Amino acid sequence: MNVRIVTEVNGQTRELDVHPGTTLLDLLREQLGITSVRRGCEEGQCGACTVLLDDRPVYGCLTLAVQADGRRLTTVEGLPTPPGGVHPLVQAFVDHHGLQCGYCTSGLILAAYALLRRNEAPSPQEIRQSISGNLCRCTGYVNIERAVAAAAASKTAGEWPR
Amino acid sequence: METRELRIASGRGRFVDDIHLPGMLHLVFVGSPYAHARLVRVDASAARAAPGVATVLTGRDLLGTTDPLPVLAQLKALGWEWRECEARPLAVDKVRFFGEPIAAVVAETRDQALRAAERVEAEYEVLPAVTSARQALETGSPLLYEEWGDNVQAHRTYRWGDVDAAFARADLVVPVSWREGRASGFPIEPRGCVAVHDPVMDLLVVRGSIQCPFRARQTLAHVLRRPVNRVRVEAVDIGGTFGNKINVWKHTVVAYAALVTGRPVKWLESMREFIATGPHQRDVSWEGEAAVTRDGRLLGLRCRLVQDLGVEVSNRGYAGGSLPAACCALPNAYRIGALEVDAYGVVTNKSFYCAYRGYGKDKGIRFMERVMDRTARACGLPLHEVRRRNFIGPDEFPYEQLTGYVYDSGNYPAVLEKALDVARWEEWREKQREARERGRYLGIGLAFLVEPAGVASANVTSGIAQARIRLTPDGIVEVYSDRTEVGQGAEASHRKVVAQIVGLRPEQIDVPAVTSDVAGIGPVSSRGSVYSLSAVVRAARKFRDKLALLAASLWREEACGIEIRDGVVRSGADPEKALTLAELARKLYFVPGPRGLTEDLLLGDDYLPEVSATWFSPNTAKHPSSTYASYCASADVAVVEVDVETGVTSFLDYFHVHDAGTIIDAEAVDGQIHGGAAQGIGEALFEELVYGEDGDLRTGSYTDYLFPTFVDVPPMETAHLETPSPFTELGTKGMGEAPSIGAKAAVISAIEDALSPLGVNVEEAPATAQRVRGWIRKASNQRRSGGAP
Repeated sequence: MNVRIVTEVNGQTRELDVHPGTTLLDLLREQLGITSVRRGCEEGQCGACTVLLDDRPVYGCLTLAVQADGRRLTTVEGLPTPPGGVHPLVQAFVDHHGLQCGYCTSGLILAAYALLRRNEAPSPQEIRQSISGNLCRCTGYVNIERAVAAAAASKTAGEWPR
Repeated sequence: METRELRIASGRGRFVDDIHLPGMLHLVFVGSPYAHARLVRVDASAARAAPGVATVLTGRDLLGTTDPLPVLAQLKALGWEWRECEARPLAVDKVRFFGEPIAAVVAETRDQALRAAERVEAEYEVLPAVTSARQALETGSPLLYEEWGDNVQAHRTYRWGDVDAAFARADLVVPVSWREGRASGFPIEPRGCVAVHDPVMDLLVVRGSIQCPFRARQTLAHVLRRPVNRVRVEAVDIGGTFGNKINVWKHTVVAYAALVTGRPVKWLESMREFIATGPHQRDVSWEGEAAVTRDGRLLGLRCRLVQDLGVEVSNRGYAGGSLPAACCALPNAYRIGALEVDAYGVVTNKSFYCAYRGYGKDKGIRFMERVMDRTARACGLPLHEVRRRNFIGPDEFPYEQLTGYVYDSGNYPAVLEKALDVARWEEWREKQREARERGRYLGIGLAFLVEPAGVASANVTSGIAQARIRLTPDGIVEVYSDRTEVGQGAEASHRKVVAQIVGLRPEQIDVPAVTSDVAGIGPVSSRGSVYSLSAVVRAARKFRDKLALLAASLWREEACGIEIRDGVVRSGADPEKALTLAELARKLYFVPGPRGLTEDLLLGDDYLPEVSATWFSPNTAKHPSSTYASYCASADVAVVEVDVETGVTSFLDYFHVHDAGTIIDAEAVDGQIHGGAAQGIGEALFEELVYGEDGDLRTGSYTDYLFPTFVDVPPMETAHLETPSPFTELGTKGMGEAPSIGAKAAVISAIEDALSPLGVNVEEAPATAQRVRGWIRKASNQRRSGGAP
């Protein structure tokens, strides 16, 4: 019943046997132990399970693992990081108090990463609209916007690792 | 040093679902599809035979070996008419709310458990459901607990002062109605835990997304009939609580499964289960009238409160105390001479009431804010002026409020003035006038409140708090408290305060996850910065003194000369002599004597570098009716525009001014303000748990229970004042709940302000677009037919 897929996970090519009904969320968490991808509503509303599929943010709970065949998956663990360092986007979230409980944070970081890839200098309105598919219950989003704006500035200034 | 925030943002959070243990099983509950029914029979045989299933538990299976859920709150001693009933974590012969668990399936994988759950067969005799408080109170209404004879769980009529005299003296009687829809927090991580029984030590360990481990341990031990010291509860990283994870009842079944299978058992509920069977809140209706003078002074208030508790309110969570809180917090920031509240807590076929940011005091406060707004309009006064005229003055503290609360300190006029200033109130009023001329409906709303925080009632929410600090043998300082980290910054706060008081570097301090080892009721009622922090401060001072005493003994000098700075202990007699913490620890633990510590310490009973401290509210100890330790003040100004065609409310601006006494971490305080305000906005505009006539939950997921997204919350400007509390160790006051209480009130006030030219009074939340259109239509029809709005 299982299907073999070949997918690049955080820069590493993996050959995996997956049940066709397995979601990306379950593949990443249960089969690959990548726990930054979180289980929230599991119905495509909260975005805690956000994963980048070929640089596009998708809900891991609504995407089948087989859809990752021949494609790239990126989670927070896979963001390019200087040796012994922290990705500037992650640092911006910490510096601007953009997380409280932190449960939604991985998903938000990936959504922000995807936004800044497309649009290096988003307006506050663009930041809000692009990331409105990710829910946060703790922060009221105010500091998240500041964190993303700060990260955008550091990207424009060339401070991001390649 | 890697902070908790950096660890989690980097993807290395350790939440319940991240726990993997060898041999771990997965538990899934089977919930009732009916809101009210006799549970005639549960047949688990087909489910037991399903692939991967280790066991299936039903209510009857647990009867002989477990006790019913313990009663956690009891208001009889406080003068209430109060009913109790028996409740078990798995229904036995009756189900009383949609989703109530009737069985638990335990299997090798979650998928297998879910599939096997579909094979559990149950036979129900459906009964008519009670789906509103109004219906619950009707004669002949179906009964949830037949032995009660009706659906009233709690009732009390409070009378303070002479209400009749107040009304006789009044120039105006202002009627006020106010209804809040059912709502709750539902943070993005649902409830869950992993239970493991270690047979060698006979210790049951439950690790989970649990807000109050010490309290949780009591419930687990009680239900499972184990001595309390053979149960341990540990909090892991928690994905948000807001009070929704205080209740620990499904967890007893998870623990039971671990005991009977002899294997670790994990449970993480689905969001739908969290919403259907989680703690619910709000759902109140107030009917009242205020006796006021012509110039807007409140003489008295007479009202009736009906709170829809869902099923019994004292077994699964503790919300009994929310009723007295709603009544006693009612006077808010104002002077009032007479008050009568006829309060009812009724049961309905909905999930149980427990805690959600606000708990009980929020309801009284918001009703009073409606009274203030209505009084303002009736007397032709600006919204802020009516409050000013009724404020308790800055020189009147500590102030003994009519209802027994003793407000510790405050400067309400200063907070209000600051809010009006920051919000540029008069400028917005001008813009509003201009907008009205162009047919646009702007509204500027105000809410002012005093948040009672840090509860200690003569009930299970009584406020003990303990802290322990210890120097480990390798020189780390461990800080233990009951203040579970739930994202509010407890860990960082304690690290900062201990570093400052003792003279340490932050990286020398370890704040381990909170467990049931430390006594305290946990971070409920915004008490973390009141009780827990005060206990930590006391412990820190004792610890500093103890280290100085021990070092002085080693060096044969006076303790008062010892200095601890930058994490190094320095001699007062000889500036060259110093010990790092690691060096000090090694001496104390491994070579204390002979020729180490002086004889008096060696022969004494306390020569180890560890201390313990407790704290209790001096306010409450002196005034038992003042169940809260501290009273912060805040003001919210919301500027909105209401589109009268669509009924949609959008924000033009939002302001919050806060006075929570001494601020330890301004960033953490602002975070609470933004997050709390977003929740209040959600409740004002979107959030409501809606039940169908047969008690099925219509808003069962995030698809229908809508809380604010990134585009729904406005940018917010905040400002702070600091009027310290004379009662807490650092002058801090609890503040986490005020922003959600105020935001909901301010937004409602703003919508009413926007629509007042159309004759609309806002008497209900949430003010959904559909409701707003209905109110506008109704007011328009009344105007056309010549009736008064």
